[in-house]
Amino acid sequence: MIARPPAGSPRPYRFPDVTRHTLANGLGVWLVPLPERELVSVHFLTDAGAATEDDAQAGVAALTAQLLVTGTRDLDSAAFAETTERLGIEVGSESSWDSARAGFLALREHLDTGMGLLADMLRAPRFDPSEFERLKAERLADILQARAEPGRLADERFLGEVFADGVPYGRLSAGTPESVGALTIEEVGAHHATRYAPNVADIILAGAFDPDVALAAVDRHFGSWTGTGPGHRTISPTERGGRRIVLVDRPGSVQSELRVGHLGIDRADPRYFPAMVMAALLGGVFGSRLNHRLREELGYTYGARCSFDPRRAVGPFSATAAVQTEVTVDAIRELLGQLDRIREAPPEEAELAEVRDFLVGVFPLRFESTAGIAAAIEPLAIYDLPDDWWHTYRSKLEAVTPDDVHTVARELIRPDEALILLVGDAAKLRDDLAAAGLGELEVRTES
Amino acid sequence: MAEVPIQRHALDNGLRIVLSRDPRAPLVAVNLWYDVGSKHERPGKTGFAHLFEHMMFQGSAHVEKGQHFSMVQAAGGTLNASTWLDRTNYFETLPGHELELALWLESDRMASLLPAMTQEKLDNQRDVVKNERRYSVDNQPYGDWDERIQGLVYPDDHPYHHSTIGSMEDLSAASLDDVGEFFSTYYAPNNAVLTVAGDFEPDAALEAIGRYFGPIPRNETLPAPPDMTLPASLGGAVRVTAPDQVPLPRIYLAHRIPPFGTDAFDRFDVAADVLSSGRASWLYANLVRTQRLAQDVSVFVFPIVGGASMFVAWATAQQGVDPATLEGALLAELDRLGADGPTDADLERVRNLQASRSAASLERISERADRLSMYACLFDDPGRINEEVSRYAAVDAAQVADAMRTGITEDNRVTLTYVPAEAAA
Repeated sequence: MIARPPAGSPRPYRFPDVTRHTLANGLGVWLVPLPERELVSVHFLTDAGAATEDDAQAGVAALTAQLLVTGTRDLDSAAFAETTERLGIEVGSESSWDSARAGFLALREHLDTGMGLLADMLRAPRFDPSEFERLKAERLADILQARAEPGRLADERFLGEVFADGVPYGRLSAGTPESVGALTIEEVGAHHATRYAPNVADIILAGAFDPDVALAAVDRHFGSWTGTGPGHRTISPTERGGRRIVLVDRPGSVQSELRVGHLGIDRADPRYFPAMVMAALLGGVFGSRLNHRLREELGYTYGARCSFDPRRAVGPFSATAAVQTEVTVDAIRELLGQLDRIREAPPEEAELAEVRDFLVGVFPLRFESTAGIAAAIEPLAIYDLPDDWWHTYRSKLEAVTPDDVHTVARELIRPDEALILLVGDAAKLRDDLAAAGLGELEVRTES
Repeated sequence: MAEVPIQRHALDNGLRIVLSRDPRAPLVAVNLWYDVGSKHERPGKTGFAHLFEHMMFQGSAHVEKGQHFSMVQAAGGTLNASTWLDRTNYFETLPGHELELALWLESDRMASLLPAMTQEKLDNQRDVVKNERRYSVDNQPYGDWDERIQGLVYPDDHPYHHSTIGSMEDLSAASLDDVGEFFSTYYAPNNAVLTVAGDFEPDAALEAIGRYFGPIPRNETLPAPPDMTLPASLGGAVRVTAPDQVPLPRIYLAHRIPPFGTDAFDRFDVAADVLSSGRASWLYANLVRTQRLAQDVSVFVFPIVGGASMFVAWATAQQGVDPATLEGALLAELDRLGADGPTDADLERVRNLQASRSAASLERISERADRLSMYACLFDDPGRINEEVSRYAAVDAAQVADAMRTGITEDNRVTLTYVPAEAAA
């Protein structure tokens, strides 16, 4: 057969039904019963992300989340690990800018026991001073490790250079060596006492359970929890602005880690859907313009891509590639060329259709796993999205036109004001970059 | 746990077929394992099996360069491929009604790759793969650990001696003639397993597979598999210190163990989990939490089938910790597991963790399809997917202790220590 075979008739897919409840203490409960599964996923969220920290305590949200899994009032760190893992449960806890999260995946027979342990951990954490010191030391060492990896170093330095001074988003959400080094266990305790509270928290259950039984179990484990957390603070990100090239010297590098970008959009932006489609077309799929040009035509990189990082406030837009040192200047020109090009004209309908059909068609595949379905509810809880978000998601993607893509590209992609950040070997790059006429060059040392 | 359903078939040309129907979601996974990996490469051709995998996305007789990706994605599917020591796999997951698209794309490149090959495409993908090597190995701290370990655990003439990514020199030397020869030798229906899992009608799928793959001729002269035999033990301790651009020292300990698929291998698999799986594991509890010598720890076994596999433990030193101190503590834990064996609580913990992880992995039809292809390709027994949990649970404490005592010994050990370059200078 020499032509693409015709497709059969599609079987419809609908995102599973979700029911919402609120306990008397304000805790939001989201239930997604999936009777054919063997597993249950429990995801707890509270408004205790890094965006709630004072700048002087940067990293307190992350350290609090990490310290939670080191035990409860009744179980020390070793006993808590032993008790949960003997049920086959690995409890996780972490924070991002906009929320702190904790949860687990378990075979369904362990749902109630697991939820009881999770509730103990969240409501009555042990906060052992010795474990606090250990996790702090591990976090400081992880920062050192991250700065030895060119990609993670580039990510960190890009944030620091793209946001204006004083914007919290200009650092990693897990804090800096200076801020983490100064944190005390009292500050962790205060962050937990203030920000982990039922009125600013949600719990999401997806998987094999009876909804009435599950709701009763949530109420049993969390219903008597009291406390009132404050709302989140407002961050108003601004960028440093102006086309600049910042070269972070990493002697001996055989590739340059490139980050090109500026500020993007926040999670509530009305242009969310056209912006997502435009970013996918520009650098979100294998056949995207950036990857096609820099990888499949020029062979400069193993992969080039771009994305927005929308948060409660405006997060960055960045294009990313690790390119062979020798072609660095030309790779930057090519990358900027694609940013210019997407602003020049609407995409052909066929090019747009390919990307849009992927984003629409891949929808059921994103929700194959129990954990994937629970995770899909998180943005609804964090950003107060409408309950029908996933039911209308595909039609909103399908409505995006070539002109919509062109409009958001002109509004949101600003190559003339983009920061160009590289981590690479300055001895090999400095002169060519200075002579390239791509912007004023600033050279920085590694740390 | 629920059984994964399995139907086996074969075409006259030798293509082995595994079907596993599960209509819960309207999705289907297509997965092809070719019984060729970097172990089949000859001297001077390292990295070629993987470079060839890239060429499989550069078009075939009826598919343009880039179209394989774009057609599957436009259909709402995901896809990729990977190459490792024993095998090369290619896979698509897409809406069930697009099953034939994946079958057509896979069959077109199995039947007729070579008419689409050009020097320009080879040069382009050679550059891409060299950048993949720079990205994942040469420009990363500790990035060449597995290349170094393989080079030390397996002798010079052994097929596992070199890494899958290969050397820059050999990649530079790869030619279009090599592409032609490799394709003609290994990319034949009688050297592959095709698995379809998910939402499909088995009779219709089988008919379509016959229609797309049936006309492809078998290779009547498949070469014999490479000789993988080697002594069970290294027969002498090997120590290497590697100065690198790293902030913290890291120690890798590697040992020869029996190959994947054997009962003996499963004992090391359980041992690895007792030592490093979860925060109640021995190495986490003792080296990270209590003694605070390590920033992180990991122990794992390689699921490879030729001659000998590897049992690898690594630990990154916490700031200010002498690597010799860390190494001593790490070895003490390995020795203690040999002397004492795991407790009943240890076994209950790792068995339940493994059961949860297995259930979570097998929720995804792409993972089910890949494991079915793997068991069919490596052991001619896809049913082993339903024995993962029972095989694991059958390992007892005495077997773990015995495996550690007899296999994880000094004269069977490679010790590779990365140290910060400044400190070494």
